Formats: sequence, C-alpha cells, structure tokens
Amino acid sequence: MALISHLDSRLQKTTEWFRSDGRHFQIISQLTLLCYGIFYLSWDSDYFNFVAAFSGCLIVQLLAIRFAGLPSHSIKSALITSLGLCLLLKTNSPILFFLAGWFAIGQKILLKISGKHLWNPANFGIVLVILISGDAWISPGQWGSGALLVLLIGALGLSVLSRIKRMETGLVFIAVLFALEYCRTILYLGWDWDLLFHKMSSGSLWLFTLFMITDPMTNPNGKWARIIWAGAVACLSFYLSNFHFINGAPFWALFFATPVNIILDYLVKRPAFQWKTADQK
Amino acid sequence: MKKNIILTSIALLFSSLGMMLYSFCGFYVAKADASLFNNKSEVIIVRDGIHNVITMSSDFKGDLKDFAMVVPVPVLLKENDIRVVERNVFNVLNDYSAPRLVEYYDQNPCYDYFSKDEMVFEMSAAPTSVGKAITLNEAKKFGVTIEAQYSIEEYEVLILSAKESTGLKDWLTANNYKIPASAEEVLQPYIKSNMKFFVVKVNAEKMKDVTSGYLRPLQLSFDHEKFMLPIRLGMANSQGSQDMIVYGFTQTGRLECTNYRTVKMPTDRKIPLFVKEKFGEFYKAIFERTYQREGRNAVFLEYAWNVSPYTAVKCDPCVGNPPYNQDFVNAGVSWLNEMNGNATIFFTRLHVRYSRGKFPADLQFQITPNNENFQCRYILTHPASGAFDCDKAQNYLSDLYNRRRNEVDEMYALAGWVDPKSTQYVREYVKDMKEKPEEIKNEILPVAPGDGGGNNNGIGDKKSPAPFLVVALLLGLTWFAAYAGKWMKKLRPV
Repeated sequence: MALISHLDSRLQKTTEWFRSDGRHFQIISQLTLLCYGIFYLSWDSDYFNFVAAFSGCLIVQLLAIRFAGLPSHSIKSALITSLGLCLLLKTNSPILFFLAGWFAIGQKILLKISGKHLWNPANFGIVLVILISGDAWISPGQWGSGALLVLLIGALGLSVLSRIKRMETGLVFIAVLFALEYCRTILYLGWDWDLLFHKMSSGSLWLFTLFMITDPMTNPNGKWARIIWAGAVACLSFYLSNFHFINGAPFWALFFATPVNIILDYLVKRPAFQWKTADQK
Repeated sequence: MKKNIILTSIALLFSSLGMMLYSFCGFYVAKADASLFNNKSEVIIVRDGIHNVITMSSDFKGDLKDFAMVVPVPVLLKENDIRVVERNVFNVLNDYSAPRLVEYYDQNPCYDYFSKDEMVFEMSAAPTSVGKAITLNEAKKFGVTIEAQYSIEEYEVLILSAKESTGLKDWLTANNYKIPASAEEVLQPYIKSNMKFFVVKVNAEKMKDVTSGYLRPLQLSFDHEKFMLPIRLGMANSQGSQDMIVYGFTQTGRLECTNYRTVKMPTDRKIPLFVKEKFGEFYKAIFERTYQREGRNAVFLEYAWNVSPYTAVKCDPCVGNPPYNQDFVNAGVSWLNEMNGNATIFFTRLHVRYSRGKFPADLQFQITPNNENFQCRYILTHPASGAFDCDKAQNYLSDLYNRRRNEVDEMYALAGWVDPKSTQYVREYVKDMKEKPEEIKNEILPVAPGDGGGNNNGIGDKKSPAPFLVVALLLGLTWFAAYAGKWMKKLRPV
C-alpha cells in the first residue's frame, strides 16, 4: 500500500514536472518524428550528423549558461534546436551540422534585440549553412504527402501548441496558404482537388507550420501582430513557391520575414514570451 | 574576399534551390487504331543554372506515320533549340547506370590463390517513337495561335499557344490528331500557366532516309526557372501505371524530387547463383515489391555517381565501358567540351512508376549538393572450387551453408520469390561436411525460405507496422505522462 502511494506521488510529481513546460512536449514530438523518418521512411541518415548537431548546439548553450548567465533550463531549447536540425537539414559533412548548431545557438545569444532573439534558431542555422557552404540542402520531399502523416504531425504539433498557447500563428499560416493555393490551383489553373491535397498534405509543410513558425520566442509579442505576420509569411511563401519555383519556400519566407518582428514589436507593445518551468510555478 | 565568398554562395544557393524546369511526357496522339499506350519512356534532363536540356525517348508501338506527340513547354522554342539525337545515347546511359549483378569467387581455404571478382549484366532498355501530315486549319477560329513551325530532320514541329483547352482540343481533332477524351482537363491548367505546346509528327518521306523505322529522340533546350517534368499529360491516354527512367546530369550533385519522396532501391544484397539467368525478371520483381512497399508514390534512385572525366572510378565494378565525353555532349551536357577537362558531371538515374491516383502533381526536382555515389547492385558469390580436404574447409563449408540460406531468404525478402531449386542449392555442399547442420540431422525444418514459402508472390506486402506502433506507443506514453497524474488525483478517495 505504501509502495503504491509512493509510486502514485512520484508519478504525480513527474507528470506535473512534464506538463509544466511546453518544451517537454516539443522534445518528445520531434523525437517521435525523427524516429518515424529514420525507421519508417528509411531516411538515408548518418548518425554522425546527428551527434554533430547535438554537440554543436549543446556546447554553445552550455558555454552560455556558464559564462553568459543563462538559466539552466534553457538547455531544453538547445535540444529542440538540435532535433530541428536533424529533422530538416541535409549536408555532405557532419562539420556543417556542427556549424549549423553553432550558428543557431550563437545567434540566439548574440543577436538579441531588447532582450529577445530574432530568428528561430533552427531556421537561422539551416539557412546560414546553406548560404555559406553551398554543401547543405533541405529535402522538401523527404516526408512525402499523406493524410496519415499529417494526422501524426498534427496531433504532435497541437499537443505542443496547446501548451504554449501559440495556436493562432500556425492556424493562420496554414489557412492563408490554403486559401491562396485553392484560388490558384483550383479556381485559376483548374486542376483537380487531389493536386491541392497533395500539395497541402506535404509533411515538410506541416512540420514547418506546427514546429517552426510557431516558436513563441521569435514570434511577435502581440496576438494581432502575430496573426498579421503569419498571414504575411504565408503570402511570401506562396509567392516564392508559385512564381519563383523555390523549393522549401516556407523556410526562406520565414527567414526573410523575421526581421519585420522588430517593427511589429515596436508598434504593438506586449510582454515577451517566457518559458514557464516547474520551479517558476 | 569575404564578400566574394558570400556572393558565390548566394549564387550556389539559388542554383541549388531555385530552379525547376518544364517539359516532356506528352501524350501520343495517334491516328486511327494505332496503339495509344505509352508504358515506358526515358528522359535525359540536364540542368545548368536555369538552362535545361531535355531529351525524350519513348516506346511508341504502331505505324510511325501515325505518331504525334504533344509536350507542354514553358517557353517559345526557336528552331535551333530543337535537335534530333541518336537513340544510341539512351542505350549507352541505360547500359551504364542500370541495376547490376556482380559475381565474386570464393577462395578455396585449402589452396592459396587470389580471388577474382567480375562483373556481369545490365538491364535492358526501351526504344523510342513518332507522325502524320497535318493540314493546318484556320487556327484562329479555335483560339489557337501557331507560334512557330519548323521542319527538323524527320520531324515536323509546331509550337502552339492557346486561350482555351476546348479550342486547342478541337483544333487538334480538326487536324486529325486523335486526342484522349480526358486530355482536356489537363490541357487547361497548362494553358493557364502560359505554357506553349510543342506538337510533333513524323515526315514519312524523310523518315525513310534517316532511320530504318524507329523514332529518334528529340532534344529541347531552353532557359527557365522551373525544373519539372509534366507527367500529367502522359496519364491522359494511358491506363494504369507507366514507367519512366530519368537520367539527370548536373554540375553539383544528385537530382532529387521535391514533391514526392526519393527512395534508394535496395542494393548490395547477396542472392542465390541460380537467379543469374533471370536477373531481368528478378529486378522487375524487386522493383514491384519496393514500389508497393513505399506506397506507390515514391521516386526510386537506381544510380548516382560523379562521372566527370577526371574521376577514375565511375562504377564498382563497371557494367561496360563508361560513356565517352561525346556521349555526354550528345545527352546535352553543355558545360563539357575539349577545353574543359575539369568539368564536373554528376549522373543520377531515377525510376518512377506513376499512375493517376498516386501522382496527382507533375514531378518537381531540385539539384542537391549531395555527391555521394550510389549504385543498385546484387551480388552472386561462387563457391570455391577444388577438393575440400583440409580442416579449414569444414569451417568454410559451414559458412557457405549459412550464407546460401541467407541468400535464399534475401531472394524472398527482395523479390518475394520462392524457388524449388532453393533446397538443393542450400544443401549442395552438405555431402562434404563432416558435421551436418542441425536441421538436416533432424530433418524437421524445411531449408527453403525463412518465411515458410506460403506466400509466393509477396507483391503488395506492406511495410512492417512495427515502427508505427512504436511511434503510437510513444505518443500514448506522452499523453499518459501528461494526464495520468491528474486523473489519479480525481480517482483518489478524499
């Protein structure tokens, strides 16, 4: 009996700890998706790259915790960034993964504007490594398309978003993109519905919608600012993919739209997002 | 200096991400009863910046006089943008990059000599096709504009633009082109995307002079950002699935599909010796099974290699002679010439089996910097020859027995094949073994396939759901961890 009540209270504490921080959900979700990619979609993955991504991110983050006085729980954010890199980035060499980790976390620590970092770390790391090395790329087709996949990513993503209360960013982005694609693909060009579904059920697109554009640390602080901004990213992404045939357009759109946040935060003044942790509660 | 580096890398970025190209895979519009099916086609796509060179070849069966082809193209092609090339280019590329069979020879443990390895085989390729004289009716009436009209060797080429798909369809019909009923709905989106229509037929008179009755491939060159193959039009007159082999050449690395998964074919597997005679059939079965397992909507990688003139090893081992520089030039590799001995050529071979239900969108590609070599090969290992009269031979025979068991299992796993020869094959050297394998002593287990052999087609086998279950379990655990405590609280007596 005593054992049961002991276990019960342990479980209680563990779940409270787990639920206290949205990042725990995100880590589990991204880990699940990585396993899905490696084992089910049989990605051509080099585990050494993954090790490089994790060590790149964690080393910089640990240094920052030690010397820049960052809270120790920020290590969770570094884990999320490393998982993000593993899910999206492809390179010819693990060194680039390591570099991407440095860029991603380095940017977070060094490029702060009124106490808030600008770019989503994974997005920044990936774009910079692609731009600088020319030896890295993203594979928008690696997830394929399909209802089941969207359901899986959707369920995981919503579990995260409901914790951090940033649902609207993702929803507005996907809704605006869907509306634009509907107008062009079906109304204007006259393709069948299945083509639109194929486009909109791309795994990469949903991963971006639920795990990257919704990053609360780099979104505008005001709710309406976020809604307008997400809509604008969707328009830019639509334009880049349909008129300039850029692959992985959402990632580029986000990268180029992020600096606008400075203006939006200046215009709409709201307190910046803070991760809640068990001890703060 | 730093500035230079950044500028170069931006240029690289746009060359690796930005571009797509348009073309090919039209439907064959044949007159009268000539066969309308096009079940296999081959395309060479060469991409350099936004410059595209597309060479098309297909296995049109029927009277060549009746052949005609419609291909949507993104720009108005000029006369010198269109070229006729020899069929041989495709043969060379196909032979060189096809899935292959390798043979190795074991060394007899009782004697000391070097083992040799040898290479055999390649898959067979497909031929091409085309025409019929058209009298141009009043095009304007149909809302169709004849933008250009060329006579290029044995082909008569028209470049059309249209306002409405109905007009285009009616014009084609009025000019004796037989159009599949379902083509109209596909033509409309291409018209709206400002595509031009490249319409080709054969000039029967010239045909006689040039070839002996087969169609030579057509090569189109143009500059456009789009990097894609319009497969949708090809689906209009073909039932079921069609196969297409894409030979891609880039300066940087692999070609990859961006709107479907690009999956590697299984490779480097050891298979039984008796598969050798029917390897073509065997690979077909492997492809079918892999295609089914990946959900019938993936693009398969069969070969990827840096074949630049400066690289020494172009395959391991090679099927035949590597293509000559002239073959690459004929294929459209424009950056290769005598002055440029350092040119990089990366060769990717993709195999797509597309059908209307599973491929709603045209294939879009990107060039990646991925320069990892890949080839699809299967391995035959010949046993050692000579007498097995030393002690070491017993270990060898036992290994051989186990290896052959594995080969038979592999044959089943890859192709779903069960062969009655398997038992004999596995036990061939048991007579020389002093210590017989357990299952032979007991004669309980059948030696043949590990799966019991009940299912001998294996086609349609889905992927194992195990990883999916693991994922579901993880998900469940997460939710459990998140909410169980809360529920427990409610359940607990006050």
